[in-house]
Amino acid sequence: MDKISLLAALIPALPFAAFLAAAAFARRRPAGAAAVSIAGTAAAFVLSCAVLCSELASPAVHAAGAEWLQLAFVNLHMGVLVNQLTALMLFIVTLVSLLVQIYSLGYMRGDAGFSRFFSFLSLFTFSMLGIVVADNLIQLYIFWELVGLSSYLLIGFWYDRPAAAAAAKKAFVVNRVGDFGFLLGILLLARAAGTFDFSGVASFAASGALPAARVTLIALLLFCGVLGKSAQFPLHVWLPDAMEGPTPVSALIHAATMVAAGVFMLARLFPVFSASPEAMSVIAGVGGFTAVFAASIALVQDDIKRILAYSTLSQLGYMVMAMGAGAYTAGIFHLAMHAFFKALLFLGAGSVIHAVHTNDIWKTGGLHRKMPVTSLTMLAASLAISGIFPFSGFWSKDEIFSALKAGGHTYLYFAAVSAAFMTAFYMFRLYFVVFSGEPGESSRHAHEPPVVMTAPLVVLAFFSVFAGLAALPHTHGIASFIFYGQPERAGLSLPIALTSSTVALSGIALAWLVYVRKAVPAAALRAASGPLYYLLKNKYYVDELYLFFVRNVFFALTAAIRWFDRNVVDGAVRLSGLAVRRSGDGLRRTVSGTVQSYALTVFGGMAVILLASAWMHPALFGFGGPLK
Amino acid sequence: MITLTHYLVLGAALFCVGLYGVMTRRNAIALLMSTELIFNAVNINMVAFSRFQEPGFAHGEMFAIFVIAVAAAESVLGLAIILAIYRSRQTVNSEEMKLMKW
Amino acid sequence: MEQFLFYTFAASILIAAVLTVTVRNVFHSALYLALSLFGVAAVFALLGSYFLAGLQILLYVGAVVVLSIFVISMTKHITGAGAAGTGRRAVPALLTVLASGALLTNAILRTDWGASFAYSYGAGTDAAAIGSHILSDFVIPFEAVSVLLLAALIGAITIIAKDGR
Repeated sequence: MDKISLLAALIPALPFAAFLAAAAFARRRPAGAAAVSIAGTAAAFVLSCAVLCSELASPAVHAAGAEWLQLAFVNLHMGVLVNQLTALMLFIVTLVSLLVQIYSLGYMRGDAGFSRFFSFLSLFTFSMLGIVVADNLIQLYIFWELVGLSSYLLIGFWYDRPAAAAAAKKAFVVNRVGDFGFLLGILLLARAAGTFDFSGVASFAASGALPAARVTLIALLLFCGVLGKSAQFPLHVWLPDAMEGPTPVSALIHAATMVAAGVFMLARLFPVFSASPEAMSVIAGVGGFTAVFAASIALVQDDIKRILAYSTLSQLGYMVMAMGAGAYTAGIFHLAMHAFFKALLFLGAGSVIHAVHTNDIWKTGGLHRKMPVTSLTMLAASLAISGIFPFSGFWSKDEIFSALKAGGHTYLYFAAVSAAFMTAFYMFRLYFVVFSGEPGESSRHAHEPPVVMTAPLVVLAFFSVFAGLAALPHTHGIASFIFYGQPERAGLSLPIALTSSTVALSGIALAWLVYVRKAVPAAALRAASGPLYYLLKNKYYVDELYLFFVRNVFFALTAAIRWFDRNVVDGAVRLSGLAVRRSGDGLRRTVSGTVQSYALTVFGGMAVILLASAWMHPALFGFGGPLK
Repeated sequence: MITLTHYLVLGAALFCVGLYGVMTRRNAIALLMSTELIFNAVNINMVAFSRFQEPGFAHGEMFAIFVIAVAAAESVLGLAIILAIYRSRQTVNSEEMKLMKW
Repeated sequence: MEQFLFYTFAASILIAAVLTVTVRNVFHSALYLALSLFGVAAVFALLGSYFLAGLQILLYVGAVVVLSIFVISMTKHITGAGAAGTGRRAVPALLTVLASGALLTNAILRTDWGASFAYSYGAGTDAAAIGSHILSDFVIPFEAVSVLLLAALIGAITIIAKDGR
């Protein structure tokens, strides 16, 4: 086990230890729980930096592990696998987790579940880090489910609110749907490949030993996991509801620890996915559709966190679309950039909510003067997500645009560009409504949150502004660090940069016209769009569709099963119980308490058995033989 | 000529009579007496084996002596118990001694 | 002579035994038991075990039967349908006993007992041989039985003793 593998094994272990310690502290010393939790994540962050530096200096694959179970057909390992992708993900996850935890010190102050919150955050971080360092499918799946569990715990953190409890349940159930397919995919793949290890699976997929249809099936089943965890259409419905959790949790889920897992899994198993062009086009199509679909819903939402939630869906669509189009580097790069600016957006939104105690953007307004730090950092993040030069989103989106264009995916390219326009519009709609203009009814007494909350904003803003420079072609950029097969050298193409900038700027300009200058009244815009507005407002009625399906089809099915269970299965159970009871009643009479009847039973039984034996095997008893 | 077999059949018959008594007598004292019959059936077998299978040695007799000793102890204790039960329940009917039921 | 003695003793043993387990009067039952045990003692004597025959009479007829009669006279139920008799278990018990007897007899008759020694009547084991056995090969069982008898004695006293005495 080399040094890097050891560090990588230690990185998830630290938050886990912090989780246990924080849980132990929980009752008596909330401050202690928070301190332990933050210390664990901070230590993990330092180690992750070390791993990243080592990988930057000399990219190499470090692997170590131990035999866990030896089964008849396959051996299971527990191990770590560190490459450039792992190093980058470790860095992002620990950084965002650390900042979110520091931020939570302020945001969650005084909450009854303060220490519980921190121990769950540590558990969440541990689970995600476990996914990142896992070296085989089973280990990945275990941590994958742990992520699901932690998200359930955190979304339903305020479990006394019915909405939060329902949202947590929804997240868990919807994820189960995806994970079911994922597990089937894992088992099919492992059965075919004879191993769970990523390296073995990758070389197997590359060898082309499987028929194409089978590879496509496996890839699509694995993709079901991505649908659930990364909230792609049609399993996206849980993510907006997950807003019921505390805002720092939303930041964590949306930036680093949950939805990123799906994209990360796409990257880890990229050899398998790329072995099936059909699956890749499905993946790209789903991603592109989700990008446009979610962005259009975000246009009309009123809840600040819901706007950001649909924005996340849309951006995840970008990543999945990029992966599906084969743009490995671009997908991961966007994942990293998105982690920074989306975490920032959520934490900024948290500051706003902290200050005005409402999620409704129309009740706020004019917050720029009262909360300058929040406002400026939110502005940086909004510019980044809209893809304005030279903010981070510009570089990663351009990578995706270039890859789509170069790959000849014309439809996807147009989907991406139109989603970019909508992104710019809804982000600046949010920004202008909340921060500019006259103070709204709730924002009169707003003030800047404490420094533990603003400091993470500033750090994240730094990354949102400058992290994109990693893509500069002149440096040893991201493309030569994270790649699949050969480094992609798409570089910066001027026409694409111009197109995307134009689109983004026009989106911002439209938002400015409508919400600042009020040249076009919002009501007129709404009236002009007619029924489309209500369609968007109600999120394309997907939830209602699912509910309809569940109520009518699913419940009918369960009613049938229930009838079968109640009457046939339970009937059999009751019948056997009755039979035993009746025969017991009968046999009870033989237990007279008189020892002599017992003796009679014993000897009589013995005599009967012996006579029966003599009847069946006379020779055994000497019958027919001589008398001695 | 009386052989070992004769004595063994006598022992078996006595055993069966004793067994019948154990299973049917309602008087607890009679029940104990029936067990004495069984002991004696065993003793007849012991002594007969000793005499016919290894004359000159007395191992069978030794066993019989110990059986008699143990039977005496058993009989003393059994009768004591019956007496105790009679004192508390005014009966020696074995069918009324069913406290251990269920 | 030998055959005559054996069959006489055997018949008296069995008849007395059958009467023991069937008569209604428990006191009579005890007397028949005494008779049966006398018969067993006679069989022992026939087999040459005079010492054992004496022991049988002393211990069984002299102690056990007398003790039983004591107890019978201390409990009032000497006669009567409730205490004596055969009752509803008689028929199955009889069938069981007959089957057991048939099986036992079958086993005895069909077993090769090997070389059976003829023995001369009157040349039995003497008390001296038994005494030396008891104090040499069988000394440990002998001591164990003595402890057992002591324990039985104490146990009987404890069971019988009334409270407070």
